[in-house]
Amino acid sequence: MEERGHRETRGGNQPLTSLDLVDPDRLSRFRYGVVTWIDKDGFPFSVATDFLLSENGEILLKRPSVPAIITGGRVGVLFNHITGIPTGGYTDRRYILVWGRVSEDKGFLKLHAEELSEWDEKILPFDKLCAAAVPQAKRYLESLQPSIDA
Amino acid sequence: MNAPSWVRDVFEHYLICEFTSIDNGKPVTFPLLFFYNDDGHRFVVTSSILFSRKIEHMKKNPKVSLLFSNPEGSGVEKHVVLVQGVAKCDDSDLDHGWERYLPMWRKKEPYIDGFLAAREQFAWFWKRIVVEVEPKKILAWKNGDTAKPAEEINL
Repeated sequence: MEERGHRETRGGNQPLTSLDLVDPDRLSRFRYGVVTWIDKDGFPFSVATDFLLSENGEILLKRPSVPAIITGGRVGVLFNHITGIPTGGYTDRRYILVWGRVSEDKGFLKLHAEELSEWDEKILPFDKLCAAAVPQAKRYLESLQPSIDA
Repeated sequence: MNAPSWVRDVFEHYLICEFTSIDNGKPVTFPLLFFYNDDGHRFVVTSSILFSRKIEHMKKNPKVSLLFSNPEGSGVEKHVVLVQGVAKCDDSDLDHGWERYLPMWRKKEPYIDGFLAAREQFAWFWKRIVVEVEPKKILAWKNGDTAKPAEEINL
């Protein structure tokens, strides 16, 4: 499985709510989230945690037992799904990656979503995703060109 | 690596990890197929040049993490393990450098040979960068209960 994205949305200058970015129905199809931030040593720190959606569609993350997340600090939260295949491997790949800030809310961490990237192979098949990514591949090859020419 | 058997099971049998690179201070996390090289205690992912933005991130900042949280399809009980490490990207042989990991890839995704047979059709996909991650710190939550403190694994 590789990084993919059929939608990327930036908040720009407009104040957005989580509901503006994240479809609660789609999010409810995931079982847990992976919260990631940058720790004091400069490494990414990820942890899995359960989440729930409030009646208002807010994303509430269960507080994990880890070094404190800086309240108001920027995090990324990945919601990911695969279905294992009995003969090996997996299918039904989909994810939603949300960036935003977290704040304390009654023992939970409330995620204020600001930006999103997602992919669902049932919506955008893999071959079409590859076709859409060719410009990135060309850019990468061009970046290698000076070392090849040298 | 002096890790309990349940941690080794995760490394040896989980199919995917949640891999994070850093883009100008922003964590970018995607699910990735990974391989664990027990000989050198290294974690390896490969990336098509199609999806190479994470490689660009790592060339600027090699600090990465791999979270193992999803046992789906692995036959292993759910545990959660975090590996923080330093990534080294090798794009010196995009066409063949990654092929040494094919035996491990085949074990995880037996159908990969079907894609390989259509290598010409997916030419961009099969130009791949190898990323080797040297672990610096490992934290593990047995039974996946992240409400409890993690156990630090000796490297």
